Amino acid sequence: MDSAVVSDILIGGVLRGGMYVLMAMGLSLVFGVMKIPNFAHGEFYMIGAYLCYFSVAVWGLPAPVAIIVAALGAFMIGAIIERITFYPLRKRSQGNWILNSFLVTAGLSFVLQNLAQGWLGVTFRGVPQLWGGTLAIGGMHISMDRVMAFGIAMSTVTVFWLFLKKTKTGSAIRAVSEHETGAKLMGINLNTIHTLTFALSCMLAAIAGAALLSIIPASPFMGLQPLYKSWFVVILVGLGNIEAVIIGGFMVGIIEMVASYNFGAGFQDVISLSIIILVLLFKPSGLFGKKLKV
Amino acid sequence: MLKLNSVDAGYGKLGVLRNISLNVNKGEFVALVGPNGVGKTTSLRTISGLIKPSKGEITFMDQRIDGKPVQNITKLGISFVTDDGCLFSGMTVHENLLLGAYIINDKDKVKKLLKEVLELFPRLAERKTQTVGTLSGGERKMVAIARGLMSDPKLMLVDEPSLGLAPILVLAVFESLKELTKRGVTVLLVEQNVNTTLKIVDRGYVIEQGEIVLEGSSKDLRENEHIKKSYLGIE
Repeated sequence: MDSAVVSDILIGGVLRGGMYVLMAMGLSLVFGVMKIPNFAHGEFYMIGAYLCYFSVAVWGLPAPVAIIVAALGAFMIGAIIERITFYPLRKRSQGNWILNSFLVTAGLSFVLQNLAQGWLGVTFRGVPQLWGGTLAIGGMHISMDRVMAFGIAMSTVTVFWLFLKKTKTGSAIRAVSEHETGAKLMGINLNTIHTLTFALSCMLAAIAGAALLSIIPASPFMGLQPLYKSWFVVILVGLGNIEAVIIGGFMVGIIEMVASYNFGAGFQDVISLSIIILVLLFKPSGLFGKKLKV
Repeated sequence: MLKLNSVDAGYGKLGVLRNISLNVNKGEFVALVGPNGVGKTTSLRTISGLIKPSKGEITFMDQRIDGKPVQNITKLGISFVTDDGCLFSGMTVHENLLLGAYIINDKDKVKKLLKEVLELFPRLAERKTQTVGTLSGGERKMVAIARGLMSDPKLMLVDEPSLGLAPILVLAVFESLKELTKRGVTVLLVEQNVNTTLKIVDRGYVIEQGEIVLEGSSKDLRENEHIKKSYLGIE
């Protein structure tokens, strides 16, 4: 493999991996804190893409503002959805929680997809560019939209990581994921943390959808692909391990690029999933996972 | 300061506590002792709000707290140190201690409290950046008690601090609890180790089969024939 190909794979893998990190981080957060396997996560990516589209193409807002609109809009929608679905479920019963909450997310996914289809139709809605131009890296010319999407993803992940590690609220979120009873005894309001966590997770997915709008236009069923990729990453590194998602996202991105180069684009999912299955055979909790109390 | 009046509580249909009445005055060091499985831990869980009583009243500083959410009871000034600590094992000692002060918004006060607990437990100062999951049993107990102090509580509920500890560490933990009362913190302690407990507390209640069967000063309880025979092994 010559150096140009290696650069191509590395750069492509890193750019792709950065988006996977952003998507998977939200999914891992919701599972780690709320113990919800969220199969509606891709729909918030879709919501982000649509909000960005309307902000740019209909309301004429500049790209940075459009991304913020997408983030805040998804945050609020996520908070409302949490309060009307998981909050009453938690109050009613925590028995069979993982199965019940999974079923709720599956239902939520259908509802959101069909609402989008019914309201906005199946036509793809995209924009030709958000930023414009290209950037020369290692002899390659990469579209500025891809580079900016990566930059937005990495900035968001960094800010989010700092929020979790350095702020009082971030510590409270981590405490709830570690020990709910302990968190309650510290005076932490679990319901507030759960709503905040879900809203943040939706926001992270929406930022990914918004940042990639010029590359992947908005459509009602666009969330399936990012959902699967997020699950690949989360399962590979271990459910609920938020920090390891950073490594996992880049791993999946690079594995896909290597597979795509060697076997063709159609095989990238086959190869990455085969590797994940092999990892799980030897380490069922994931590469960096720990046994989860359920 | 704390008053339980005819409290019944349990787990679903399983009733554990029956007609429990006790009180703890400000500045006292009071113990609730008894054998395994009689409702000692259930009593503390009920006071802290983790369990709702099915009957009776619990008042703290003249305010009813039975039925209130756990976090609200914590904000009123009750700190509960459970037998397993409920520690955040993946977080450092420092992070655990700071979370103990979650309800305090004054950063200077948090710094002052942190300084005080690290003076009380100097070993924790050495382990500040260590993950709690890597500490020994005794060190974890210290983190649990230190974290309980970080909310600057008016009342500390401490559940079986001697459980799983070597005798020398048991003494050290009990002495640190005694030190707390000298600093003005009121403590309600639950213990199976009746012998050591009655040497350091001011007053005690004995609970058997979910009911209070005896109460009195620690001196009176040590001299009680039933206590001497059943718990101290003195015929």
